[in-house]
Amino acid sequence: MASNTQSFVKAPYVFGFHKPEDYIYKSGRGLSESVIRDMSAQKGESKWMLDFRLKSLAIYEKKMMPSWGPNLVDIQFENLFYFIRPVKSQADAWKDLPDAIRETYDKIGIPEMEKKFLSGVSAQYESEVVYKSIEKTLHEKGVIFTDMDTAVKKYPELVKKYFGTLIPPADNKFAALNSAVWSGGSFIYVPKNVSVGLPLQAYFRINAANMGQFERTLIIADEGSYVHYIEGCTAPIYSTDSLHSAVVEIFVEKGARVRYSTVQNWSTNVYNLVTKRARVEEEGIMEWVDGNIGSKITMKYPSCYLVGKKAHGEVLSVAYAGKGQIQDTGGKMIHLAPETTSRIISKSVSGGGGRTSYRGLVYIASNAKGARNNVVCDALILDHLSRSDTYPKMDVRVTQSITEHEASVSRISDEQLFYLTSRGITPAAAASMIVNGFIEPIVKALPLEYAVELNRLMDLEMLGSVG
Amino acid sequence: MKKVSILSLQHIQASLHSGKSILSDISMSFTAGNIHVIMGPNGSGKSTLANVLMGNPEYSVKGKIYVGKTDISTLTTSERAKKGIFLAFQSPIAISGVSVIHLIRSAYQELYPSTKVVSKMHNPALSKRYASSGMSITELLDAVKKYASMLHIDEALLSRSIHEGFSGGERKKIEVLQALVLRPTFAIFDEIDTGLDVDALKIVAHGIEVLQKQGTGCIIITHYQRLLMYLHPDTVTVIKKGTVVQTGNAELAKKIEGSGYGE
Repeated sequence: MASNTQSFVKAPYVFGFHKPEDYIYKSGRGLSESVIRDMSAQKGESKWMLDFRLKSLAIYEKKMMPSWGPNLVDIQFENLFYFIRPVKSQADAWKDLPDAIRETYDKIGIPEMEKKFLSGVSAQYESEVVYKSIEKTLHEKGVIFTDMDTAVKKYPELVKKYFGTLIPPADNKFAALNSAVWSGGSFIYVPKNVSVGLPLQAYFRINAANMGQFERTLIIADEGSYVHYIEGCTAPIYSTDSLHSAVVEIFVEKGARVRYSTVQNWSTNVYNLVTKRARVEEEGIMEWVDGNIGSKITMKYPSCYLVGKKAHGEVLSVAYAGKGQIQDTGGKMIHLAPETTSRIISKSVSGGGGRTSYRGLVYIASNAKGARNNVVCDALILDHLSRSDTYPKMDVRVTQSITEHEASVSRISDEQLFYLTSRGITPAAAASMIVNGFIEPIVKALPLEYAVELNRLMDLEMLGSVG
Repeated sequence: MKKVSILSLQHIQASLHSGKSILSDISMSFTAGNIHVIMGPNGSGKSTLANVLMGNPEYSVKGKIYVGKTDISTLTTSERAKKGIFLAFQSPIAISGVSVIHLIRSAYQELYPSTKVVSKMHNPALSKRYASSGMSITELLDAVKKYASMLHIDEALLSRSIHEGFSGGERKKIEVLQALVLRPTFAIFDEIDTGLDVDALKIVAHGIEVLQKQGTGCIIITHYQRLLMYLHPDTVTVIKKGTVVQTGNAELAKKIEGSGYGE
């Protein structure tokens, strides 16, 4: 909690510094078959991946933009750079990184985090993972935690079996785009009955203006295993718009459990359009914990396909939309087996003219007898300029199931403000406390450092919107 | 916090923004370290007086309020708190996700601030760490626990969202706890005795006594004399229809208990 809220001025975006661009390779603007052939060759990929990319490009070119949701016409696809390679080869140690890159990470605070309780840091700078350190214990347990490019080369059979099967290129236009030009991202395989005690983390960062970032993450949790993966994003400010469009596929095998946590804080000129999906087998558990604070427009609806009996899916999401921002988030729970259960808890805060939307789908198939679902979406609106909408959709095909939907919209009450200010707390800090209290049920699901970061970021945003 | 001994109200008039007048002309003063009782029938304006002292923006107020020689009538609520005014609410509101201990800590840091930077954080999002001019965090936590135990407050309550699902008695005790830890110069207790059983009443009265001995001026707003069996008021003031009708000592309170407010 901020104790020093002396300034009512909009706090500058603290991560809005950027370093001179210093790259080994940068593709030309725009997307074409030759850009993809070039990229694939640079990466030294085998033919199957090149074919996958080219097939995806063809689908991308045919697919229409989504006809629903926020307006995306301002994205200038032809002006984007689709592939940038920052350094020649991956650095194994912190000190081997170029100074500019290391300073950037220093400002975000990665080394301290690493020193603390991280079991593995894999930091993405531009399109590729340049720095990573993996604890020995991961190797000993047979856990694979590497960047996606390396995984394609080192574990082709494993990758081929899963890659693009849960989110095929034809799923939506941005999934097709990602499939064509993806670069970087994480690959995790956790063997049977192995539990990874500490969270695995990666930081993603866009540094070059006009650059699209298309990371691709694939997580396979084999039977009875457990892993918690954390993805965090900060990006510097640019005058032109950037696009971030990731694809995340997660396979939760029988009795396994995966938790995927994100704190997204892109600067407010980034379009953040992400497809995240998990397939959950019998008695498996998938938990999405999703924090969205930054970006210009975010469209993100983490999904769980509950395909095995008694599988469980969860989405805990929190969003803040400030001036000029649209957070269009939610979740999808697809119940395809008996006694499957799911829960979506969505908390959103809009201020300064920002707009939040909850968009959710609950589908219960005719064979999903005894399925249960609970959706709670609460919106807090800070002023009269801001807006919040709810678009829940339920499609229930079997009578022996239970679905619940609760929604609330609130404002910060004068009575609460009076109570807190009577204790000496300034009005801005009081509003901030109420907002942080409102999102607390989600924040407490995050690891401590991310919870602190999210609270701090929320405080910075609040300083600009209340006074 | 600098101790200032007198809190005085001069010709206070208060009305709701709708225009309805509640307090017509109130002048009175309170002394730090004393116990002042304000009594009166329902609707006499007692709670309004408490809110006006604390600067609740719901009321339009005319007249002056001084702490010593400082005019606080134009100060905001949080600024008044920093001048040493505290209000224990009659029915305090719950705030989800803000724990009792979090609130006390944040309030303490605001009331006892320091510009002394203890350490600079590497991460700009965390920026700097400051030391409080009062107790350290550990000392503060110890003080909170000590007073909580004195007030028979279950420690588990301290990490729960403030007043959320708390019983009437728990709410009142948590208000007294905050006063004890934050050590204001003047604490107003708005009907702290309503809804308390005899045991809880004794505990709350003891808490107020301890606070008084620390040097706080305690302003007790109540309907009944029952809390006064355990406290020794220095002054008793009766308010009716927004104005002071009687001033006296403990005897006055006893008389009222016997004969009522003379409705």
